[in-house]
Amino acid sequence: MKKKALIPALTLSAVTLLAACGGGGNNEAPADDAAASANEPAQEDVTIDFMHLWPAGSSPDHHRIVTDIISEFEEMHPHVTVELEVLENEQYKNKLQVVSSSNQLPDVGMTWAAGFLEPYVNGELFAPLDDVLEDGFRDDFVAGTLEAYSINDQTYALPLELNIAPVFYNTAIFEEHGVSVPETYDDFLNTIDTLVEAGVTPIALGNRDRWTGSLWYMYLADRIGGADALNSAIDRSGSFNDERLIAAAEGIQEMVEHDAFIPGFNGLSDQEAKAEFMNGNAAMYLIGSWDLPNYTTNEEVPQEFRDSIDFFKFPEVEGGEGDINGWVGGPGVGLFVAENSDVKEESKEFVAYFTEEWGKRSVEDAGVIPGTQVNTDEVDLPDLFISVLDELNNASSITLFADVQMSSSVAETHLNMIQSLFGEAVTPEEFAEEHENALQADE
Amino acid sequence: MSSSTATATTSEGLKLGPFRFKPLNLLLYIALSLVAVIQILPLVWLFLFSLKDNQEVFNLPPLALPGDPQWGNYARVWTEGNIGLYFFNSVLVTGSAVILTVLLASFVTFAITRMKWKLNKLVLGLFMVGLMIPVHSTIIPLFSFFSSVGLMDTHLSIILTYTAFNLPLTMMILLGFYYTIPRELEEAAIMDGCSVHRMFFRIILPITAPVVATTAIINMIYNWNEFIFVNTFLSSDRNKTLTVGIQNFIGQYSTDWGAIGATLVISMLPILIAFLLLSNRIVEGMTAGSVKG
Amino acid sequence: MSDKRVIALYTLPALLILLVLIYVPIVLTAYYGLMDWDGIGAMTFVGLENYTALLSDGMFWRSAYHSLLLALFSVGSLVLYLAISLILASNVKGANLFRKIYLIPMLLSSVAIAQLWLRIYHPTNGVMNRFLTSVGIENPPLWLSDTSIVLFAIFIPIIWQYAGFYIIIYYAALKNIPAELEEAAKIDGATPFQIAYKIKLPLIAGVMKVTVVLAVIGSLKYFDLIYVMTDGGPSGASEVMASYMYKLAFRTNDFGYGSAVGFFLLVLILIVTYLIRRATASKEDQVQY
Repeated sequence: MKKKALIPALTLSAVTLLAACGGGGNNEAPADDAAASANEPAQEDVTIDFMHLWPAGSSPDHHRIVTDIISEFEEMHPHVTVELEVLENEQYKNKLQVVSSSNQLPDVGMTWAAGFLEPYVNGELFAPLDDVLEDGFRDDFVAGTLEAYSINDQTYALPLELNIAPVFYNTAIFEEHGVSVPETYDDFLNTIDTLVEAGVTPIALGNRDRWTGSLWYMYLADRIGGADALNSAIDRSGSFNDERLIAAAEGIQEMVEHDAFIPGFNGLSDQEAKAEFMNGNAAMYLIGSWDLPNYTTNEEVPQEFRDSIDFFKFPEVEGGEGDINGWVGGPGVGLFVAENSDVKEESKEFVAYFTEEWGKRSVEDAGVIPGTQVNTDEVDLPDLFISVLDELNNASSITLFADVQMSSSVAETHLNMIQSLFGEAVTPEEFAEEHENALQADE
Repeated sequence: MSSSTATATTSEGLKLGPFRFKPLNLLLYIALSLVAVIQILPLVWLFLFSLKDNQEVFNLPPLALPGDPQWGNYARVWTEGNIGLYFFNSVLVTGSAVILTVLLASFVTFAITRMKWKLNKLVLGLFMVGLMIPVHSTIIPLFSFFSSVGLMDTHLSIILTYTAFNLPLTMMILLGFYYTIPRELEEAAIMDGCSVHRMFFRIILPITAPVVATTAIINMIYNWNEFIFVNTFLSSDRNKTLTVGIQNFIGQYSTDWGAIGATLVISMLPILIAFLLLSNRIVEGMTAGSVKG
Repeated sequence: MSDKRVIALYTLPALLILLVLIYVPIVLTAYYGLMDWDGIGAMTFVGLENYTALLSDGMFWRSAYHSLLLALFSVGSLVLYLAISLILASNVKGANLFRKIYLIPMLLSSVAIAQLWLRIYHPTNGVMNRFLTSVGIENPPLWLSDTSIVLFAIFIPIIWQYAGFYIIIYYAALKNIPAELEEAAKIDGATPFQIAYKIKLPLIAGVMKVTVVLAVIGSLKYFDLIYVMTDGGPSGASEVMASYMYKLAFRTNDFGYGSAVGFFLLVLILIVTYLIRRATASKEDQVQY
């Protein structure tokens, strides 16, 4: 029934995020264009409709940067007005689908990578943005991030976020119970046992959201089978019946049997689980680097707690093919331009300008690691942040979140199966089989 | 049912004298009070919730007092942009939709129950089927309809949608009551030379005041809290309603729960007041109405 | 009365709104159900493929079973609401205050109700399990993550959410009964129980029937709290028809199939409602003079 997903096997090798003096010269290009067009006489007034998902209430920093960049852009282009519509994440996704059904997308909006993007590209709703990436702008992006938004060698969105998922842990709890950062998976299980015996919940996990559990599975798959095992199963050059992937699924159930996760994890949302970690009730929490502000700069979180948080890399599995510097992560939202926008040129210019400016400010002002390279000499960041950026820089691979890689219907099966695997409602073999069935049905 | 047209006695005047001091009665009161406590606690909870910070929201028991009441939640909600405008829009949309729905539903119910015509069962059936539609499967068709007639991003699209979706329910509640209105009443009115319209507005509507109040309350609550249509059909900030106030505090990766609590409290107050005012109308017995008419 | 112009005047405005905003979407939903469409790109006509796929879709029937269970529970709970309303409407002292208090939860939006019950059901901090542990139960149920109880755990807030709705309807209906009837019966020596059973209930039978139909229809297309509190999980243990349809249409980009499910859901509701109306037909006759 469906076309096979053309998934970019997103293994970013040799990522160079922290360009010491990164691409300063390249950055000029879009700005020059902008200045040039501003000088042109009396252009017709146009309005760019821009839809984003950072409400002023919940994401004041993001929202402020967006507003600032818009007013600068409007100043440079007096004939352009940018009209905003802001919706929260869930409502945003819904509205995007509804407006697409009538081909009435806003001129500029936010999209996610790979599997999410694909139907919009197939439906020819997003405009290719390769022309704005010429003149070296392409090199400003962290290697591999643009590829996540590319189909058939054309780029359909410019990434604004890039994340990896470290295991955050509470050093105070670790010290109190005499455990240290585990170096191997067996160590990790021992750590878990020690904490459980001491009456401490080892890991906060909100698996009602399901992608949270998927992160754990992905790391086990990576450490056992290497960066390619899962990617190739998803792009159909391999299979979920691969014994290394089955071993990863077994590893999840082993952790569950060791009581590694908080009681009732399958009924808890990520936010409820996070609260247990933030409250000192759980020792570890695996989440994307977007959560860094909570452990560094967020004034609402007690200083004492923030000081006690550190992170470690998911431990290696003995005999496994993975590398401890392999990460699970990838770009988050990116900006698209609607194919049938009647202000396409202005919109493209806006998207390019926005992405570039966002990259300069987002880490420092909002704690968001952008898809463009960060010049560490110019930013002032807490140590924990710098360590994560260093890890990102030294990553041997970054495997894109499985549910983002997959087409939406396969992703739904994957996520349901994750919940069932953690809940021990399916065996690792059934887990693999269901994935195979869904992937075949999708071809 | 002929006795229903008898003397004017308000139902309030009756007493259940003999059953007041028995142990059964005491038990009854205990049970009623217990239910009352259960029903009122959510309000208390919501209020406390609105004064907590994000940590306390999750870590304290629901009815525990916040350590340091975050009145700032209210300040934040209030200063965060256009609450006043959203509020006005909510009142406008909810109010228009409620009046339109209740009036149109009363018209149709009156025509169906009190007049004889061939298609009457069919029309009733059409409305009843309307009750069965799952909202989510109508969003995309409605969106393309409103955009093709140029009603996108207008309050009218929302008002009409609310009316369409609430008409069946409203009629269904009204029906049971219309059936119990004695026919003698109309016959008498017609013999007095009363026109149909006059009869509807001067006799039927006043008689059905309690149930009209009931449906108005129900409609009001539904419309006031609705957000799917508002989010889908409205796009400019100047048109949006209070339900966007809640969205404003839901983030991509985290949510400001205290502020959401404060928004919920602020947006519940008007509905609570309206409810208290309207609910007094419900007690008025039908007989009292019919005699006045 | 049967003046055609009057009938048209009273009926047409509402009918027009209904036809354009409800029936056009229904027809379109049925039409989309014949398509392979991701809701974004181009449509492909596939005939009845979606509908035949649905008949053998285990997840759909599982969610249909859950919806049906919810309907049964909702109808069962009506008895309780009716009892409360009977007591309230019989002029007990303070009835007015009680009545208002009982309706308060109904004023809360689903967002608030979901948050409240998530805190009641929380596996470790929740009110429920704190209470159970305090009375010595060592491993209290994990309400929302145990696949064998999650469905029933989520029924409770759903049913509770609508308590106010039904009480308000019953109360208004009971208050509509002419007081003289009750007075006359009392003079004849009837007990309050007899009055309720022999006089009041038959008189509001029409309203009762309406509430049964409303409860069944409302349950079969129920969505809100399930979506927020469990998202149909874990492993589909609390999935209902509407949440399943929503996921197909808006999450897995299977808008054609989702529309087929939506339309089929409507057909199922129609059948069930028809069966109820037939089963209760005799009562209706009594009420309609």
